[in-house]
Amino acid sequence: MRAWLGVSCLAGMLLVAAPAAAQDAEALRKELEQMRKQFESMKEGYEKAINNLGDRIQSLESKQQPVAAPAMTPATVPAVSGRDQMLTQAQPGGQPTLMDLARPREPFALYERRGAGQLLFDMGVTGDFIGNLTQRNVQKANGGTFSGRENRFFPREIEINLFGQIDPYARAEVRFEAGEEARGEDITMKLAEATINLMTLPFGTQLKMGQMRNRFGLTNVIHEHDLPFIDRPNVLVRFLGEEGLKEKGFEATWVPALPFFLEFLGGVFNGDNETAFGRGSLKYPLVTGRVRTFFDLDEWGAFQLGASIANGQTPEQLNNQLIGFDAKYKYRPDGWQHALFTVAGEYLYAIRQVNVVDSAADTPIEQTRTRERNGWYVYGEVQPFRFGSLSTFSLGFRYDWTQFPINPGREWAVQPYLSYMPSEFLRFRLGYRHTERSHRDGFTDNGGSARTVDEILAQATFILGAHPAHPF
Amino acid sequence: MRTTIRVLMLAALAAGLWCPPARAAEKIRVVATTTDLKALTEAVGGDLVEVDALARGNQNAHDLEIRPSLMVKVRRADLLIMNGLELDGWAEVVVQGANNPRVIPGAPGRVDASEGILVLEVPHSRVDRSMGDVHPVGNPHYTVDPGMAPAITANILQGLARIAPQHRAAFERNRQDFLRRLDQAMARWSAILAPFKGAKVIVDHNMWPYFLTRFGLVQAGSVEERPGIPPTPGHLTKLIAQIREERIKVILTVPWGDRQLAERVAQETGARTVLVASAVGAVKGIDTYLDAIDYNVKALVQGLQ
Repeated sequence: MRAWLGVSCLAGMLLVAAPAAAQDAEALRKELEQMRKQFESMKEGYEKAINNLGDRIQSLESKQQPVAAPAMTPATVPAVSGRDQMLTQAQPGGQPTLMDLARPREPFALYERRGAGQLLFDMGVTGDFIGNLTQRNVQKANGGTFSGRENRFFPREIEINLFGQIDPYARAEVRFEAGEEARGEDITMKLAEATINLMTLPFGTQLKMGQMRNRFGLTNVIHEHDLPFIDRPNVLVRFLGEEGLKEKGFEATWVPALPFFLEFLGGVFNGDNETAFGRGSLKYPLVTGRVRTFFDLDEWGAFQLGASIANGQTPEQLNNQLIGFDAKYKYRPDGWQHALFTVAGEYLYAIRQVNVVDSAADTPIEQTRTRERNGWYVYGEVQPFRFGSLSTFSLGFRYDWTQFPINPGREWAVQPYLSYMPSEFLRFRLGYRHTERSHRDGFTDNGGSARTVDEILAQATFILGAHPAHPF
Repeated sequence: MRTTIRVLMLAALAAGLWCPPARAAEKIRVVATTTDLKALTEAVGGDLVEVDALARGNQNAHDLEIRPSLMVKVRRADLLIMNGLELDGWAEVVVQGANNPRVIPGAPGRVDASEGILVLEVPHSRVDRSMGDVHPVGNPHYTVDPGMAPAITANILQGLARIAPQHRAAFERNRQDFLRRLDQAMARWSAILAPFKGAKVIVDHNMWPYFLTRFGLVQAGSVEERPGIPPTPGHLTKLIAQIREERIKVILTVPWGDRQLAERVAQETGARTVLVASAVGAVKGIDTYLDAIDYNVKALVQGLQ
C-alpha cells in the first residue's frame, strides 16, 4: 500500500512538473532565438564595419599607389601626405616661428620611411691602430712621434659615433673614444665630442655648441682616422698638443649668399687646452675665428684658402695668440677613389707671453717675455691609377718645419708614406719618417736623447657602419 | 704681420657683406642632386624654376667630392631634390655646410624623389659590408627607368607646390605635357625592345635592374663582383665562362666605370660593350630626360642585334 502511495505521489509530482519544464524549454528557445537575432545583427554590424574599413584602405591605396616596376604609374598627383601637412604647417616660411619652437614636435614623422625597430639616428664605429719602430735612445727620451709609445703597436683611436637629426631644427653628434695614451696604461672610454647644431637660424647662420674639435686651420678639425697622413703635423702637435684643439663652448658660422663660397666662423670656448690655452674659464675665454673661401679652377680641380685666429690665456694666465693660414688644391677626375693629386699646407704663427727667470741677475727675477714663433707643413698625395688593383694605392709625402713654442729650438721632418685602400672602409698605411731637432731640450727624458729620429710608422684603419662623407 | 692680418680680415668681411644684384625674374631656385632629377624638375617647373645639379651627368653619383662650391648652390636654394635610398647621402654634408634652413631634413624645401616608388632589390636578409658597398634600403637607380618618371615628377610637383602654391596649376600642366610625351615615347621604346624580351645582358655596375625589368630584359651578371669593390680574377674568369656559355651579346658600361676592363671581357667573349647614359648629360649631347632614355634604348638595341 505504502509502495503504491509513493509511486502515485511521484507520478503526481511528475505530472505537475511536466508543464513547468515545457514552459522553461519554450522560454529558453525564445531566448536562444533572441540571442541568434542579436548575434546576426552584430555580425551584420561587424561585416558592415569590415567592409567600410576595406573600402577606406582601398581608397587610401588608390590615392598613394606604389609604382610597380613593370607597369606605368597613373599620372595623377598623390594627395599631400600627413608628413607634408605637418611640415607645411610647422614651417610656412621655411623658418620656424617662436610658436613652432614651443609646439611639441614629432621627430618620428621624419622617419616614416624607415621600418619598425630601426634607430632614429646613425651609428658607426671607427678603429685606428698604429705601429712604430724607432731607435732605443728615442724610446728612452720619449722623443718619438707617438711620445711614450715608441716601439709599440697600439689602438690610437677607437671611436663610437652617434649622429642624426634631433628634430626639424637641430642636429646632434656624439663621439666616444678610447685609445692608448701611454705605455702600459689602461685604456678607458671617454667623451670625445658632443654637440648640438642649430640649423634653422636666420641669415645663413648656424650655431654649434658643446664639446668639439675646433674648426681652426686645415687639419685640426679632422679626426685621427681621417687624417690624410699617419700622424698630426709637427707644428700642430707643438703648438696645440697631440690631440689638437678640442674645446667646450660655442661656434657660430655665417655663409653669406654669394656667388662664391665664403664662410665666417666665430667661437667662444672655456680654454681647456693644456698646451696653448689652459685658463679654463669663460671669464677669460678662448676666442676663435676663421674665414674660408673656395674656388673651382676647372671641372676637376679646386682650391681652398683659409685664415684662422685663436686668442686666449695660458694656464699661467698669460696671453697667447695663434694665427694660421692654410691652402689646399685637389685634382680629382671622376672615378678616382682618392684625388689624383692633392697638395696642401698650413702655416701657424704664435705670439705668446711666457714667464722667464733671469738667473744671470744677482737675485733671480721672474719676467714676462713675448715669444713669436712659427711653423708650417706641406704635403702632397698622388693616386696614379684610376682602375685595376693598383687604383687602391696612393703615395704621399709630408715636410714639417716648426719652432718650439716656448723653448728655443726647432725641428724638421720628412715623411714619405704609402696608402692601400682595399675598399672605402679599410685602409693601411706604411711610412718612414726622419726628424732632426736643433736642441735636445725637451727630448732628453731618462737620460736618452732624441735629436735625430728615424721611425717606421704603420697604420690600420677601419670604418664599421655609418660614416658621414668627408668635406673637401 | 698683425696689420696684414687685420687688412685681410676686413677685406674678407667686406666681401661677405657685399650683396649681389637682385635677379631679374624671381624664379624658384631648385638644386637636384643628380642630372636626371634636374631634367625632370625642369620638365615640371618649366620657366618658373631655375635648376642646378650637384653631380655632373658623367660623374659617379655614389661618391661625390664635397666641394664648398656645392654648398654655394645649396645655400641659395629654395628646394633641394634628392634621389634618396642612400645614393646621395653625401648631400647631407653639403646641406650642413650650406647654412640654408629651407632645405635641411624635414623642411618643406626638401624632396625625396623616391617617395612612394616600389624599390627593387631590398635586402630581405641580413646585410653587411662583406657584400661590398650594398644599399641596405634597396637599389637606388630608379631614375634610369622611364616608368618611374610619373612617380618622381609627382614628388617634384608636390615639392614645388609647397614652395609656390600659386603655381600649382602651371606645374600640373607642365607635368601632364611631359607625361603625354613620355607615354608616346614609352610606346615607341617598348615596341623597339619587344623582340628582345628575355635577352640577357651583363652590366658593369648594378644600376639597371629597373630599366631592364621595365623592358623585359634580364641582367645575367655584373663585371663588379660586389658593389664598389674591383672584381677579382676568379670572378672575371667565371663571368667570361658565363658569357660564352649563355651567349650573352651585350655588356653595358657607364662613363665613370672601368671601360677598359669591360672591353677586355668583351674581347675574350665576343660580346659587345655598349656605352649607356647613366644619367642625363653622361654622354655628350644628351641633355633631356627623354633624350637620355632614347639614347639608352637605341644603344641597347644596336648591341643586341
